[in-house]
Amino acid sequence: MIWVTWRQHRGQAIACLALLAALAVYAIIEGTSMRSAFSSDGLAGSCLARTQGTGCENGIGAFMGKFGSGVNIAFWSVALIVPGLIGVLVGGSLIARELEYGTWRLAWSQSVPRARWLAVKLALVTGGLIVLGAAMTAVIMWYRAPMDQLTGRLQHNAFDFEGLVLTAYILCAFGFAVLAGLLIRRSIPAMVAAFIPWLTIRLVIEFIFRDHFLAPLTTAMAASCYTQTGCGTGVGAVPQSTGRIGDLILGSKPGNLVSYQPPDRFWPFQFIEAGIFVALTAAALGATILLLRRRAAWSA
Amino acid sequence: MFRFRLDGSSGVPPYLQLVHQVRQSLLLGYLREGDRLPTVKDVAADLVINPNTVVKAYRQLEHEGLAGGRPGQGTFITATESPVVPETQAALREPLDRWLRDAEAAGLNAEAVTALIALARQDMRKERI
Amino acid sequence: MAEHDAGGNVPALRAERLGKRYGKVWGLRDCTLEVPVGAVAALVGPNGAGKTTLLEMIIGLLKPTEGQVSVFGETSRAGTAETLARVGYVAQDHPLYRDFTVADMFHLGHAMNPSWDRKLAVARMEALGIPLKRKVKSMSGGQQAQVSLTMALAKRAPLLVLDEPVSSLDPVARLEFMRDVMASAADSELTFLISSHVVSELERICDWLIILANGHVQLAGPADGLLAAHQLLTVPRDTPGAELPGTVIHRTDSDSPSYRHSTVLIRTDADQLDARSHPGWQVDPVSFEQLVLGYLQHQSTPLTHDDPAPAAQRPRPNTKEFTR
Repeated sequence: MIWVTWRQHRGQAIACLALLAALAVYAIIEGTSMRSAFSSDGLAGSCLARTQGTGCENGIGAFMGKFGSGVNIAFWSVALIVPGLIGVLVGGSLIARELEYGTWRLAWSQSVPRARWLAVKLALVTGGLIVLGAAMTAVIMWYRAPMDQLTGRLQHNAFDFEGLVLTAYILCAFGFAVLAGLLIRRSIPAMVAAFIPWLTIRLVIEFIFRDHFLAPLTTAMAASCYTQTGCGTGVGAVPQSTGRIGDLILGSKPGNLVSYQPPDRFWPFQFIEAGIFVALTAAALGATILLLRRRAAWSA
Repeated sequence: MFRFRLDGSSGVPPYLQLVHQVRQSLLLGYLREGDRLPTVKDVAADLVINPNTVVKAYRQLEHEGLAGGRPGQGTFITATESPVVPETQAALREPLDRWLRDAEAAGLNAEAVTALIALARQDMRKERI
Repeated sequence: MAEHDAGGNVPALRAERLGKRYGKVWGLRDCTLEVPVGAVAALVGPNGAGKTTLLEMIIGLLKPTEGQVSVFGETSRAGTAETLARVGYVAQDHPLYRDFTVADMFHLGHAMNPSWDRKLAVARMEALGIPLKRKVKSMSGGQQAQVSLTMALAKRAPLLVLDEPVSSLDPVARLEFMRDVMASAADSELTFLISSHVVSELERICDWLIILANGHVQLAGPADGLLAAHQLLTVPRDTPGAELPGTVIHRTDSDSPSYRHSTVLIRTDADQLDARSHPGWQVDPVSFEQLVLGYLQHQSTPLTHDDPAPAAQRPRPNTKEFTR
């Protein structure tokens, strides 16, 4: 079954490798460019650490001018849906294709019980997707490293691609699509039917729940921010209104207070968000395995 | 090598057709004692029929004493028929072919021809008594 | 080749009271049939009669709602490796993975079956002139059917089930496929169960007949015996059914005002026929096609699986003497 799984997903594996390679090429080009700009803009030294950015405004302005919109906005908006697309494209056809083309009659009449057929396939493909996700995350983390020093990693456009969540997003989309494929029995409708809830959940968690995974902290707005023009909230602002790089400002409160999340919560938040998506994946794949066992008739 | 044929529209069961063909071939000298009949597999594949049909035919031939199987070697003709010699065959064929053409020209179909021949034989038998 | 035994040997296939229900509707009910070892059995019936469902239950691809299947004496449990390994299967339209090469398909066969005969598979491809490197999608329908048959044969299962194997093929491919099946049947003690909705092409092929209609097995038994046990009677139109010398299977009354007759398919035996026939009646042997059509048109409650003709009348072929 290992060879069979490999052979059936060989095309997808090659496409994913190509995607990874393309990403790596882009990352190396942009990342190298960023690194040299980083030092030439005077940000490589101790200025950032010492002054939290207030002393290197010009350099930050120059750097952000060159890379801010590309790395933070453009990359993010395109790459937002990519994990979902990977997941549904790989998962949508896994079962649905067999049902669509009638090859289930071939596959499930060989001497392998269908539960085992599915289990081996899911295990191997999931493993492959985890490796892909980890590789993509590694590449992006390397690429974003200079920018991360300015924005911190809790900012959405960094958080979404670093740590664990990227892999978890892929897995969740995959799980939804496999289940949809079993229920709908057609590959493309299954992919669409899985992508929409995936994207919805993805955006809801990111924009409604993530900022409050742990109770936000409150502090007074930094005095330096009254005079600095670069200081504020959001991605382009270095430092954030707390006067520190890496904080994620959630909002202001009366009395010049700001609520925020500190950067050391990056990994706890990663575990929480990845945990949600992995749980969804497990539920979807578990349901698929159970349903496959129970479904009596298979006229596609 | 001897080859069977099947006429799907004749109404005669396939296995009997095979038996008849062997009998006729013996009569006409196309098969002689010691000749090997095609294997069951070859006939079944050639004619696209159930091998059991061939087996049945060969059993019938064995029953009639015309053929017998040698385990591991095949089925062989065991009978000695005095066949119609080719010269006699040729001599008789000429007037027969002519007669058949005349009958066809006169509008007789196959069944009518057979009926006419049967009638002629009946009359001949009566004459002899 | 068929070994018709009155009781001793284990049949290649025995299905007892198989039934399948979808929701509230029964697709198949009370299907009992047997196929002896070495037979080439035909499963005929109109489209939608449930042939595929019945075959899927026999293979172990589908779990019956009722009843059970045993293959060579072993009870089948749907979906288990042991059950699946016992039957070779070619599904309707002979599905294959279109992107795979023939070599890939054989690799799959080897990977997914414990006893896979690669030599046989490769030899068949060579004999048929199909290169191993060819992709399924670039093969003709006939070649794909041959590859599917090879997959089933190489599984080395003693029972082979073919679901409408030739219905999507052109006449030449059809002939070649069935030629191959006959050669395989002659070669070894394989048992075949072949379904079709085209009766005429099965006549020369099968020695065991199963008729499925209206979700029930209408008739099952040895082809020769069943043909011998039925007659086609032409009788005056108002002849009451009770007078007829046998069980009426199907009756067609003619409307012609000048020749008022009925054609009746009856199931009978020689004694009944002799004893109760009228001299004015015409009695003809029934053809394969007439037999099947008669049962397909027979609307009332299904017949139970009937006994094959008595052992004395049936030949007991032993091919070992005749094959080489």
